[in-house]
Amino acid sequence: MINKVILVGNVGGDPDVRTLENNVKVATVSLATSERYTDSNKQKQERTTWHRVVLWRNLAEVVEKYVHKGSQLYIEGRISNRQYKDKDGNDRYAMEIVANDMKLLGKRDDNSGTTNHNTDVSPIGTVPPPSVDEMPADDLPF
Amino acid sequence: MVNKVILIGNVGRDPEVRYIAANTPTTTISLATTENYTDKQGAQQSRTEWHRVVLWNALAQLAEKHIRKGTQLYVEGRLATRSYTDKTGVQRSVTEVVAETVKLLGSHPQSTNE
Repeated sequence: MINKVILVGNVGGDPDVRTLENNVKVATVSLATSERYTDSNKQKQERTTWHRVVLWRNLAEVVEKYVHKGSQLYIEGRISNRQYKDKDGNDRYAMEIVANDMKLLGKRDDNSGTTNHNTDVSPIGTVPPPSVDEMPADDLPF
Repeated sequence: MVNKVILIGNVGRDPEVRYIAANTPTTTISLATTENYTDKQGAQQSRTEWHRVVLWNALAQLAEKHIRKGTQLYVEGRLATRSYTDKTGVQRSVTEVVAETVKLLGSHPQSTNE
């Protein structure tokens, strides 16, 4: 069976990078993809979709060093529907893309630009970041 | 920019097709993808993800004719998030796969791979 996602888009805010209790690094990136299309009235439209991308270990290290708001990224991964409890104790589901490959696209910046850590600008809402329990147990090929 | 999803999996239940307008059929299919992997201890593990796959127009008609619970499908599409208000009036959002291509896989009674 296949569960595959390919995204190319721009990062919406500075990534969130954390180190979990077992010393594993995880990064969460908000990625926007936009596409133009013609609607049923033949009008040109544009739509932007926001994706929550989770990167572990080595990929998280790369994110920490090189990825910031505005970075253009290529992401390959799989869909993961993570279950969590919201503040009222209700079961909620959040879809994330768990990356298994990432490429930095575009020009490399000379300076890293501003380092003010903006809060996430994407309309994804607040979902708790991954914890040790969410960490995928599979063997990563690197 | 690229927003692409590729899935191969099994349909969880018979699709229900509804008509938004006279010639606009749509249906949402529950598709399960299962992957096997080896965990850190070397043990074989399995994980299943359920996907909501939305089909419109000709694809929805295809589903009505040929897709049933258990059908194995190849789906190509994109991710889309939409907001809705649930029955308690709370704003929610859901992310779905909007299908652009669907292929029927495996063997099925009227074999019509399109």
